[in-house]
Formats: sequence, structure tokens, C-alpha cells
Amino acid sequence: MIPVSLAGTASFMPDAVVDNQFFGISPESRRGGMFRGPDTRHHMSPEETAADMIEKAARTLCERMNVDPATDIQLILTNVSLPDLPFTGCGASVSHRLGCAPIRIVDMHNTGCVSFVFMMDLARSLMTTTGAKTALICNAQTSAGRVFAHPQNRTRPQSAIPGDGCGVGLLVADDHSPVLSIATRSCGAFADDMLATSECGGSYWAPRESAMHLDFTESRIAAIVGRGNRLVPELISEACADAGIATSEIDVLVTNQPNEVFLRNWREALLLPKEAHVDTYVEHGNLFGAAIPVCLERAEQTGRLKPGNTVALGGFSHAGDYAAAAIIRWKTSSCG
Amino acid sequence: MSSIAPNLANVPNLRRFENFPKADMNGLAMELTHAVYPHDQMFGKYCTLEEYIDCPPDQVYEYLADPYTLGEWTYSMRDFGELDAEGRVRSTDKIGGETHIYTRVDANPDARTVDFHCAWDQGDKLWMIYLMRVVPAELVLDKPGSVVLWSNCHHPFYDKNPFPEAAPPERPIWVGDLWPFFYAGHWVEMQNLKSILEYRHANNLPLNPAAIARGAK
Repeated sequence: MIPVSLAGTASFMPDAVVDNQFFGISPESRRGGMFRGPDTRHHMSPEETAADMIEKAARTLCERMNVDPATDIQLILTNVSLPDLPFTGCGASVSHRLGCAPIRIVDMHNTGCVSFVFMMDLARSLMTTTGAKTALICNAQTSAGRVFAHPQNRTRPQSAIPGDGCGVGLLVADDHSPVLSIATRSCGAFADDMLATSECGGSYWAPRESAMHLDFTESRIAAIVGRGNRLVPELISEACADAGIATSEIDVLVTNQPNEVFLRNWREALLLPKEAHVDTYVEHGNLFGAAIPVCLERAEQTGRLKPGNTVALGGFSHAGDYAAAAIIRWKTSSCG
Repeated sequence: MSSIAPNLANVPNLRRFENFPKADMNGLAMELTHAVYPHDQMFGKYCTLEEYIDCPPDQVYEYLADPYTLGEWTYSMRDFGELDAEGRVRSTDKIGGETHIYTRVDANPDARTVDFHCAWDQGDKLWMIYLMRVVPAELVLDKPGSVVLWSNCHHPFYDKNPFPEAAPPERPIWVGDLWPFFYAGHWVEMQNLKSILEYRHANNLPLNPAAIARGAK
């Protein structure tokens, strides 16, 4: 496998910021402690698309990295939580809007909240086999406005948790900000524990009177929590071992952001202080797959992530069907 | 190397002073002592917890040994019926909706052990076994009160309901689905137990008023 670097990340957030009152949560009724939920989150408007968000985030990234989309983006990989269209992803549309001429476009539909790491892994493989030197990796979380804002879903306990947003990253075939290791795992036994359901039942594509929402099999909730707690530290530890470092050498921890309890448990398991863990949950809610690139950008912009730092990316998806982690030595030299 | 006691000579895997030098023991102890332990490792196979209760041990024992007090300190066991000829009592475990739970108490006042033999849905095989022991805090912590130890073993029936025909129709969960939350659930119940007994003891109230009411009938 050729050496690859994560050169940078950028984000785009929809304009609409939604507060807790939208979900019928008053300051008095708000739960305390770790279950208090986010203060705010962004929602996409009905007209907005994943391709819109990715285009805007990618333009920011290209400008920041001095990258010409016409010549410098050779691979495009996307993961969108609720796609703009059934049947196809938005990669081709993104490519056209940015004026790219990529060798490959991949719209990846699995690995949800940790798909940024899986797409890094896939992009590295594609670079190795196609000779591509650059890959635009795009995560768009679209389900907050599209599913959880629906009047029939709004007051469900889980509806205040997700937030929409987009994060993109540029992977390049050099070693200036090297990806030291990537660890991935799939656990098919957990694949059927997430449900797209509605009050009146039936398949999600069938016409019906009540809105679709996402849920987990009630009998598996305790098991899902256990899996999530276990998988992410395990994968990060595995990636650290592959990179030849101890978990205590992680300077910055960037994970998906499902809730404050998982975040606490992961850093406790890795013996990392709260300050080392990037946390945008209270502001953005659960950004699904977009959380990792968005948090990485946040870490760099706030000065928490400095050149030479060791950064660990990690997370799990859905009910635990996938988990992954990567270790990066951040910008050891200027862009090669 | 010192000689090994003849009675133990053929027993594999023993580590004793005679055959496992102190330096090796120290090395092994270091290796076995982690900074953190995954939840599954701590509570996956056995779930044990313990708590100090500021209430005398004999009184804590008596309270626990009365199955009807489960209606006070457990999170979800309610609506207790009469004891049957085998000493079982049926109640409802609200966590399973309209689920019946059967309980028999095996208690030993000398050891102050209280073993709850329970099962969801049927009372013939009481396989959910909760082992509790009350220890005088005077002995172990050098102060008045009690230490309560509580252990639960991960019986294979938690993983698969062996009596599905006894379950209420359409019940979405099985008691074993909650095993990953057993520590949390039992911690809450242990705190309930502590709160109830400490409040009544501190205020000189009867510890088991329901038993007094039953006796008066």
C-alpha cells in the first residue's frame, strides 16, 4: 500500500440552527447530566441537497489547500446518510458541479458514522491500484431535517439528537501528514438491529400515512450500548498497535459523536483527558459520518491539533455493524 | 526449589510460593493489574456489586429475607400475591410489561445469606438466582452498619428464553436482553435498598412496615 496523507478537512453547515423548543423540550423538561442532549443543531431545508453541502464544503477545502478541482481531484468518495435520490449517490453530481475529471467516483452506502475512515481506507486502495494521487472524501449527514424534523417525529426522544452538516477531507499520495495505520472491522451479526420504521408499519418505500423514523430493536438496546462502548476503544487500540504507538501517545482524539456517554466512555477506556477529545456534540448534535471531518477541522482551527501531533480517528456505525480507526501524524512537513 | 506437597503434585496450573517465586508473582501481578477494565470483562459473566448500608446487619438481613420487600427496593417488581405451598410468590416485573416473575427465598440467618431464586413467566425452574450476603460492617470496615454483597451469574437462559411458550404474546424483550445493563439496574436497586433502610433506621421507624401491617391482619 502506498503512503497517503490526510492533507486537510473542511465543513459546511446548513443555515438553519434549530433549538430545543422545536422538539417541545423546555428548559424545565430537559433531562440532566449526560442525557441533556445538544443545545442546538443544524437542519437542512427541504430544498437543500447533500450535493449542495458537499459542493460548498469542497470549495472551501480546495481554496484552503490551493487545489484546482479540474486537475487535482482524481477520486471522489461520498457517504450520505439519507441520499438525495434513491438508487444512486450524489458523487457524479458533485464531480460535475466542481468541474472535476476523476478517475473513479464511489458513493458508499454503508459504514455510516465511521465511513470517513472506511473511505480513507478505500481511497488508499484505489490510489495504490489506479495511480490516482488525490481523493476527495465527502460525508454529508442529511437525516435531521429530512426525517427527525417531521411533525410526526419531532417529539420522539431521539429526534433532538441528530444534526445535519457536511465534512470533506483531501487524501493525497505522499507522506507529509501520514496515515500511519487504519484498522477496520465488520460485525454482520449487528447489521439488522437498526430499523427504518413508522407507526403504520410496512416497508420504508411503501406509500403510507405516517412518517418514517429510525429506531433500534428494543431488545437489543443494552447490547448495542455495550458494543459501542467496546468496539471503538478496541479499534483505536488496534490502530495504535499497528502504528507502533501506545494509546497514551494520542494527542487528539476525533470520534463520531453519538452522545456524551459514548464520548466519555471512549476517552475513559483510552485513558485520555477530556481536553484531548474533540467534542462538538452540544453545538451540532450527532453529525453521523460528518462528525469526524467536522471535528478534525474544528481541532485544527482552534489550535488544538498542531503539526507533529498524533491524531486518532475512530467510531462505529449504526448498531455496531462496522467500526474503524486510523492514526495520523499530523502535518509533519509542509504539503509535498 | 522447595518440594511440592505430595497431595498437590499432580494438580496442574498451581502457582504457590514453593513453585512460583515471589519475583515471578510480582511480575504476574503487574501484568494482571490494568488501569481500566472493559465492562464485559468486569460484568459479562458475573455481575457482582457491593454497598455499605448504615443499618444493623441482622435488621438488613431480616428485611432482605422477606420477599415482599422486593416490592419496595427493586425497580420493577410489583403486585405480589400469596406464597404458595413451595414457598414461591408470584409478582409482576413491570420492566417486561405484564410479565409474571416467580420468586423463592432461601435464607440463612447464621450466614446472613439471602438467595433469591426467580424466573420470568414460569415457576417450575427458578433459574435467575440473585445471591446476597449481609456482612457486619463492624468486622470489615470497623464501623457500625452493614456491607451488602450481591452476585448474579450469567446463566445461559439469559441468552435464550427456554420457555418461549410461557411468555406473554408480542413481548418485545427478554430479561436476558438487559444483561449488559444488569450492573446499572442492580446499582439503582442497591441504592434504593440503602436509601430505604438508612432513612427508616435513622428515623427510628419500623424497617418493614408492610410486614407489620400483614401481621396485624
